Amino acid sequence: MNKIGSILGLSIATMVVALPASADNDPKKVAIKARQGEMSIRVFNAGPLFAMSKGDMPYDAQLAEKLANNLKVLLSLDNGRAWMPGTSTDEYANDTKALPKIWEKDSKIGDAAKKYKEAVTALAGDAGKGLDALKAKAKDLGEACKGCHDDFRKKEKN
Amino acid sequence: MQRVKIWDPVTRLWHWVLVVNMGLCWAFGEFMSLDTVRWHFYLGYVILGLMVFRLVWGLIGPAPIRLSHLFPRPSALLQYLKTLASREPSGTPGHNPLGALSVVAILAVTISLTSTGLFIATDDFDEYGPLNRYVSDAIAGKFNFWHDILADAILTLVALHVTALLFYLIWKKENLIRPMITGWKWVRRD
Repeated sequence: MNKIGSILGLSIATMVVALPASADNDPKKVAIKARQGEMSIRVFNAGPLFAMSKGDMPYDAQLAEKLANNLKVLLSLDNGRAWMPGTSTDEYANDTKALPKIWEKDSKIGDAAKKYKEAVTALAGDAGKGLDALKAKAKDLGEACKGCHDDFRKKEKN
Repeated sequence: MQRVKIWDPVTRLWHWVLVVNMGLCWAFGEFMSLDTVRWHFYLGYVILGLMVFRLVWGLIGPAPIRLSHLFPRPSALLQYLKTLASREPSGTPGHNPLGALSVVAILAVTISLTSTGLFIATDDFDEYGPLNRYVSDAIAGKFNFWHDILADAILTLVALHVTALLFYLIWKKENLIRPMITGWKWVRRD
């Protein structure tokens, strides 16, 4: 009884520990978290650029250049795996707001990505060249963010 | 019928200031950009202020715009609905029972719309409502959801408002627009 009891106890304990671990290993969930992390880093760097543009924060050429450059560095990160198929709101309604139309055959997501890349590249070139230069390019970046979010991100739900 | 001064100057001014602010606020919300997003918020605060004013004015202001006049008795509403299709002016001294309900709807939706706006964030432009920091992202998301729904609701109510004015103007031969400009309205003698 003691032997069976301890084996049973050990198996249950192992399962209890192992179950959540294996759930975390869903590669698609990991991918969703990864791209959300990348978005957070983008916002973290774009935030002060937007704040400077809107006059919420004094213009600082050095900081602006650094942050815009960070955004540019992120462009070179080949993070396509984070957008693997089967990771849309259809499959992971509770974890993501990425709409399935991103993965459709004739999806316009490529155009949106291109617009973002161009906006970031232009911003990185001009952010340190004065407030007016920053303003113009930051405006385009905000538009690129919004355009993509409007089209490909699920609206907040109740 | 006799000509009576129904709408006081304060109420008339309030109405048209609200019209202008609503129009602009809608435009800045619909066509957001980094350099104008802030104005959507500013105009929202103004509109919320106008709502507060309307509630106070509805307590201390002249009779036709009193809040107590905005909730018609069901019998009065039913009576009015029977005469709605007739091709003659209603001659109501103020809001007719149906119009009163539409005012209630517009005020309620506008108050909810501007209030929910205080909690939400536009992450595209890194702009936040003043109360956003006090709620979690999940709760802010719910406010965002309702803000969108209520925006559609107010557009619908405004469209209904204008349609009703045209209905009265063309079908019932009663001009309800001029009284909101001059204050004078043709009123049925009781």
